[in-house]
Amino acid sequence: MKKILLMCSAGMSTSIMVKKMKEAAVSHKEEVQINAIAEQALEEHIAGTDIILLGPQVRFLQDKVQAEAKNVPVRVIDMMDYGTMNGAKILQFALDVIDGKK
Amino acid sequence: MEQICFELICYVGDARSSFIQAINCAKKGDYAQSEQLIENGLASFNRGHAVHAKLVQAEAEGMTDHLSLLLIHAEDQLMSAETFKILCTEFIALYQKIDSK
Repeated sequence: MKKILLMCSAGMSTSIMVKKMKEAAVSHKEEVQINAIAEQALEEHIAGTDIILLGPQVRFLQDKVQAEAKNVPVRVIDMMDYGTMNGAKILQFALDVIDGKK
Repeated sequence: MEQICFELICYVGDARSSFIQAINCAKKGDYAQSEQLIENGLASFNRGHAVHAKLVQAEAEGMTDHLSLLLIHAEDQLMSAETFKILCTEFIALYQKIDSK
């Protein structure tokens, strides 16, 4: 089980992105758990997380979140993938980072 | 509609991030990088604005059944980016004033 955390300012648009990613995850063999949180809620959700993805609207927080997340990789979602709601591509990106391919 | 909202959030959100990073760079005294970030921010903001203009146009033409919480959120992001756009030039000017003393 891999745990992916999505983060944006209110957790609103990322909540919809989570839905798209979960739909994409169905065709993956790997079991994944995907959640969306607001930027203030990281501390209570970080346990067990394999990767944190930031929406473009909180891109400026990357350094701060990375400092808090310690060894958990923090990445910004590609703007094009976010704008086109490409859940499959974002999921693949997250899994690649977790597997050390990116 | 969901797609349009995401486009809007994506562009103006990216702009907002750039404006905030521009302030952070000015704080460190890196005004060249700060200026570059403002330029990037403005480019994204303008792209978002173009998406928004299409929405407003569609409404003017009678499409009024598209109100959703996500659209309100997108509008909110747009205004937030606009605010940061104005504030970031003010903040940078302030940092420059402080640094020149």
